[in-house]
Amino acid sequence: MTTMTNETQPNKLTPEEQAKREGLRVRKPYVAAKLAAISEMEERGEISPIIRLEKSYLCNFQCTHCSAEYYMDRHQKKVFKIEDARRKIDLDDIRELSRQADELGLARFVITGGEPLVMKDFDAVVEAIDPDKHYIITDTNGWFLDLATAKHLKSIGVEKVQLSLDSMIEAEHDAFRNKPGSYKKVMRAIEASVEAGLNLLLSTVLVKGRAKSSEFLEMCKFATERNIGLYVSYAKPTGSCTDHPEFVIEKEDADILRELEKDYNVFTHMTPSYGSFKGCITVKGIITVTSTFEVTPCPYIDFSLGNLRETPLKEVLARGMRNPWLGPYRPDCIIGEDPQFIKLHTEKTKGVTQLPVPWGQGFSDSDTLIG
Amino acid sequence: MNLNDLTSPFDEHGRCLPIGLGAPALAQSRRYFQITPPQIDYAAIHARTTKHLGDTGLASDEFVRRCEALMQSLRDDPQTTNITRGIAVPFLLPQAEHADYGEALEQHYIPAVEHAFAKTFPQYRFTNHDKAGLSGKLSVAANSRHERLLQAMQQGPVVGYYFPCLSEYSLPAALERVQSLPEQFLMAGGYDTSAALVGTPGLLQRTDGYPPLLWLAAVQADKPLAGYFYEAYGYNLTFNRRPHFGQAAEYWNSGLTVLG
Ligand code: SF4
Repeated sequence: MTTMTNETQPNKLTPEEQAKREGLRVRKPYVAAKLAAISEMEERGEISPIIRLEKSYLCNFQCTHCSAEYYMDRHQKKVFKIEDARRKIDLDDIRELSRQADELGLARFVITGGEPLVMKDFDAVVEAIDPDKHYIITDTNGWFLDLATAKHLKSIGVEKVQLSLDSMIEAEHDAFRNKPGSYKKVMRAIEASVEAGLNLLLSTVLVKGRAKSSEFLEMCKFATERNIGLYVSYAKPTGSCTDHPEFVIEKEDADILRELEKDYNVFTHMTPSYGSFKGCITVKGIITVTSTFEVTPCPYIDFSLGNLRETPLKEVLARGMRNPWLGPYRPDCIIGEDPQFIKLHTEKTKGVTQLPVPWGQGFSDSDTLIG
Repeated sequence: MNLNDLTSPFDEHGRCLPIGLGAPALAQSRRYFQITPPQIDYAAIHARTTKHLGDTGLASDEFVRRCEALMQSLRDDPQTTNITRGIAVPFLLPQAEHADYGEALEQHYIPAVEHAFAKTFPQYRFTNHDKAGLSGKLSVAANSRHERLLQAMQQGPVVGYYFPCLSEYSLPAALERVQSLPEQFLMAGGYDTSAALVGTPGLLQRTDGYPPLLWLAAVQADKPLAGYFYEAYGYNLTFNRRPHFGQAAEYWNSGLTVLG
C-alpha cells in the first residue's frame, strides 16, 4: 500500500463536509480541537505531521508500484533469502508513540502497510493509537471492505478510508494490482464506505504520461461527480518501481495535474489548500513509522531519521527539520523529481537488505545539498 | 572570506554572495530553482504598466533611456557588473502615496499583477491565496532601505530594475545582507516586485524545471516569522503568505531593487 494523505481537501468545503466536521467536533472534541489548531501551530513555526504507521507489511496483493515491497517478509525471504530479525513494534510501542505524538500536538495517524485490513490485530492497533486522541485513517486496497467491515471500522473509531484505484479501466487496474477482481471490490468498497458514513478518499498513482490519458480524466470525473476527493501520488523510483524507471513522472505530468485541479476534485499533498501551500511535506506534513520503529520522512524515502526506541519523536522530527533536503519548504517532490536526490537515494539503498537505511548512513546531521 | 576582499558582492551568475552573515543562508548554490531569463521588451512593459497600474506620465522612450542608463552604470562598475549577468527585470511605477501599505498592495498592485497575467496567459490563472487580507498588516522592514522607494514614488513615477538575486537566503539574512551592499541597492518589497510582474507576467513561467519563490522581503508582516510572496504553481501564478521560520531554503529568493 503506497498512499498517504495530508487530510487536506483543497477544494471548498461542501455543506456535507462541513456537517462531517461538525459531527467530529461533537463526537471527538479533543481531536477536532487539535486539528483546528494545526494552522496556528504552523504560524508559530511548529509542525504537525501525519504519522503513517506501518505495523505490518502483510498484503494480499502484489502491486506493480508498491513502495513497501522491499520491507515485506515475502521479499526478504524470496529475494534476499533472509529473515528480518530486527525487533518489531508491538501495541505498547504504539501506545507510547501515540502519547509522544499527542504531547507534540500531532493529531493524525494513517494505518498502512501492507494491507491494514488483513492485520489480525487491526482493532487493537486502533485502540492503541486511541481514536479519542487522534484522527485515524486507514489505507486499504478495498478487497475486504464490504459494508459490514466498513460499519465495523466506523464503530471502532476509524474516521476515514483511503482506497486505492489505479485505473478506471477494470482490466488495467487488475493488471496493475496483479489481482483479478480487485477493481470490482474497490467499487463495492466505495459504496460501503459511503453507506457506513466513513470519510472516503480515492487514491491513485500517477505514472509518466497518465495525466494526459482519457482514462485519468474519466477518473477525475468519476470522483468529482460522487463528491469524493481523488488523491494522486506520483510514481517514485523506489520500492517495486525501482525496476520501472519509465513510470517516474516529469514536470509536464505534474503541471497537467495542476491544471486538472482547477476543474476536478483531484489533488496531491502539494496542492494549495486552505490558503497555504504545502509543497513537499517530508517531516513538515508526514512521517512514516516502520515496523521496526524507524522513522522515515516520506513513504518513498528509505532513509531513517532515527529509531523511536533510542530517540524520542521530538528529536527525530527536529533532525528532519534541520536536514537541508527535508526541512526547508520546496514545491517539487525530492524523491520523484530531483535527479540529485534520486541518485543519492538509489546509491545508498542499493543492495541494502533491511530498510530503511539507519540514521547516520542515509541521512545525517552533516548532509549538504552540494556534492 | 571578508566582504572587503571581494571585487564584487555578486557571483558570475548574478547571485548576491551570502558572506559574513549571522542569519542563515546557503553558502553555495546548486542552482536548482532557476528563473528562465525573460525577453525584455521595454515597450510592452511600458504598455502593460500603463494599462494595469495606471498612466505614469513617462513616455516609453524616456523609460527605455532611464532603464538602459541604469544598467549601463551597473555594468561599468566592477563592484556591481556581475549583478547584470543574472535575472534583471525593468519596472515602472506611477507616482503614488499610500497611507496603508497592505491595503494598497491588496487593492491595487496585486490585482494589477492578476490582470496583466490574465491578459498575457488567458489559459492559466492567478490566485491570491491570502484570504485574511493585508489591510493594516504590513510595514516596511527595518534596515531594508525600502522607504527610499516609497519616497521616490511620492515624488514622481519611478523607473527601476528588480533583481531576484538574494537566492537561498533566509529573510533575516536577506535584510542583513542589504545593509552591507552599496547604497543604491534597496530590498524589494510589495510594490516593486508587483510592478516587475505586471511588466513581465511570465517571469515565473517554466516548463523544464521549477522557478524559485519570490519573497517580498522588505515587507514586515504582522507576525515576526511570517512573510508574503509570489510563487508559480505549475503554469499559474499565486500570491500567498506563510511562516518562514527564519530558515534558509534552496527554493527561496528575495530581490534587490535599483532605482534609475
Ligand atoms: S518526497 Fe516530498 S513530495 Fe515527494 S512523495 Fe515524499 S513527501 Fe511527497
